[in-house]
Amino acid sequence: MNELQVETRHVGDVAVLYPKGYINAHTARAFESEIRSALRQERFKLVVNAVGLQYIASAGLGAMMGAIEEIREHGGDLRLCGLSESVLHIFEILGFHHLYRIFPSEAEAVASFRADGREDS
Amino acid sequence: MRGRKATAAKRRPARPLIVLCVPSETSFLGLVRDLTKRMAEQAGFEDGVAERLALAVDEATTNVIEHAYGGEHGRTVEIRFDVRGDELRIEVVDTGRMVDPRRMPDVDLGRYVTERRTGGLGVHLMEKIMDSVTFRRSARRNVCCMVKRRTALSANAS
Repeated sequence: MNELQVETRHVGDVAVLYPKGYINAHTARAFESEIRSALRQERFKLVVNAVGLQYIASAGLGAMMGAIEEIREHGGDLRLCGLSESVLHIFEILGFHHLYRIFPSEAEAVASFRADGREDS
Repeated sequence: MRGRKATAAKRRPARPLIVLCVPSETSFLGLVRDLTKRMAEQAGFEDGVAERLALAVDEATTNVIEHAYGGEHGRTVEIRFDVRGDELRIEVVDTGRMVDPRRMPDVDLGRYVTERRTGGLGVHLMEKIMDSVTFRRSARRNVCCMVKRRTALSANAS
């Protein structure tokens, strides 16, 4: 059974990742490798659209943590959207909602990077 | 005779309702998650709580595979489910090396970012989700016992 599929789509200079299924110790590597692939292409503005994400365990949160410093050092960020109530609850339990900006929709998450650009200019 | 049998049965320790034995491979985490969720739902927990209980058991099983067994395949993880009244009790048992989870670093979000540390996150999550999490060493086995009570409050909250 394939527990996780991750696709990436580019919206301007933002890479949007779509994890579908479950992220745990078994599948976290696939998720991490998709993040790493974006970084290798020097894409440091990332949105994780979690609308298809059923579940995330600490291994998945670790995959994001492992990349966030490099992303932010390059002036980028990893933002999230479309979190189910259950996944959002896990973020809140761990205090991860203080570390990551979370948006209701993909459009808002992508637009937030453009807003950053306007603030910088 | 009947009286003696009844006494023997009375003395016998309570058996868990369901026992799941899986090989020490992360590919079985999906099975662990699905069974835990079904057990929790059957015990009367609301869907969201059942999902979080499944996450706690996933984390406990992952800890066994990665730490107690050091990633070694071919070992066994035993997961015992028991429902006692309003209480769902889940024990995750292994025969690997003793890992003292209390030696895990405390969760510190700042250090996660600066030092890329994620150690202890799983145990922290388990403790936040369950009403109680205890670890003991018994007959050369490690036993992680997690309990969640189905009260009006906990049936709906974390």
